[in-house]
Amino acid sequence: EECGRISLPTPIVHLGDPITASCTISPNCSHLDPESQILWKLGTELQPGKRQRLADGRQEFTITVAHLNSPRVLLSCCLRWGTSLQILDQAEVQAGYPPAAPHNLSCLMNLTTNSLICQWEPGPNNHLSTNFTLKSFKSRGNCQTQEDSIPDCVPNDGQNHCSIPRRHLQLYQNMGIWVQAENALGTSKSPQLCLVPMDVVKLEPPTLWALDPSPEVAPPQPGCLLLRWEPWRPSLYIEQKCELRHQPQPGEASWALVGPLLSQTLQYELCGLLPSTAYALQLRCTRWPLPGHWSDWSPSLTLTTAQQ
Amino acid sequence: PGPGSSLPQSFLLKCFEQMRKVQADGTALQERLCATYKLCHPEELVLLGHALGIPQPPLSSCSSQALQLTGCLRQLHGGLFLYQGLLQALAGISPELAPTLDTLQLDISDFAVNIWQQMEELGVAPAVPPTQGTMPTFTSSFQRRAGGVLVTSDLQSFLELAYRALRSFAKP
Repeated sequence: EECGRISLPTPIVHLGDPITASCTISPNCSHLDPESQILWKLGTELQPGKRQRLADGRQEFTITVAHLNSPRVLLSCCLRWGTSLQILDQAEVQAGYPPAAPHNLSCLMNLTTNSLICQWEPGPNNHLSTNFTLKSFKSRGNCQTQEDSIPDCVPNDGQNHCSIPRRHLQLYQNMGIWVQAENALGTSKSPQLCLVPMDVVKLEPPTLWALDPSPEVAPPQPGCLLLRWEPWRPSLYIEQKCELRHQPQPGEASWALVGPLLSQTLQYELCGLLPSTAYALQLRCTRWPLPGHWSDWSPSLTLTTAQQ
Repeated sequence: PGPGSSLPQSFLLKCFEQMRKVQADGTALQERLCATYKLCHPEELVLLGHALGIPQPPLSSCSSQALQLTGCLRQLHGGLFLYQGLLQALAGISPELAPTLDTLQLDISDFAVNIWQQMEELGVAPAVPPTQGTMPTFTSSFQRRAGGVLVTSDLQSFLELAYRALRSFAKP
């Protein structure tokens, strides 16, 4: 038969708050006699409890912890039985804080996964299990009014980013987006973003090639390089501009930037370089004149300029 | 601006981008129908098209002879709305083509919303949003695939005409 049962007002409290637990001893607990001693084990520390008899004759032992300063405490109701200490029941008490407001929310439209990927910073550890949810809605105006809600985006455990799939998006309309954090002690919200998915598109890097001399293409002048490039193919429908950067190798000197450049060029002669010198070259593009983010730089292309 | 004869630059830039995207989606669908089912030429499906009764939306107000901004926007929106319905009727075309069809539908829907919002801003949006008429019934997988070829081919022509019309509405 069950001799002791712990009861708690709540299993989760604010860190530093008091908590009172009670252990009710069953009257038909045969192992108990008037002299039996009931003790509380708080973590590994033994503490006496206050004994009182309930109206129905059962005995109740209570303990009050003035300030619960540890995020997780195991509370055991024990019976001193001969030379041993019998654990009658055990409860886990958690302590923490309400969630801080998530911050630094930002989103990118990814045309590879065809989804809007948003990330945020969760804020300081509140010691409690906290659920983050990315919430959003479609809006005709500037997100003051909510037209259609969009299903919540729940990140995988422990992750601070979430992807809203294409089918829930209208790529050329405003949408309001924010992050909600929730744990047992409360809820908080990040500031709301108002954005048009396509205006935060980040393209994949373009492809940069050397242009080999051929009957149609004269060899480059000394101190020049012949290049051609093409934007990331799935983004061909998007008007873009690009910029090129180059750096003599080995790379002590800083990168030199050339731009804006057209997004697609079959032949480009880059001059003003040192002759007989190896250069690392990279290109990136962005949606333009409509808004967008710069792509990452393309993989480095290393070419050597002609001799003088 | 009132319903004059020009449209905001940002709206037009978005439209052109969306049109290129829808055209790219349509081309992708056509290429897959050709590669997978050897249905490569709409001209071979003219009789079937008549039998199926695939409607073609009017764009008379977008033609160079009778160019008229409000009328063109309304016909453009109406056409996009019709193509959404036609593509919906093609649902079940085949598991391999479904993602391509879904993308095409989503992009057309986005484009239609963009047009509708611009009409609202110009104060020329129809009082009552359009409702879908009766759609052709595709009774077999072959008919859905053939319908896919015909609808996307018509859609490409529709977009070409719309593209030229919107070009002419750009501020001089």
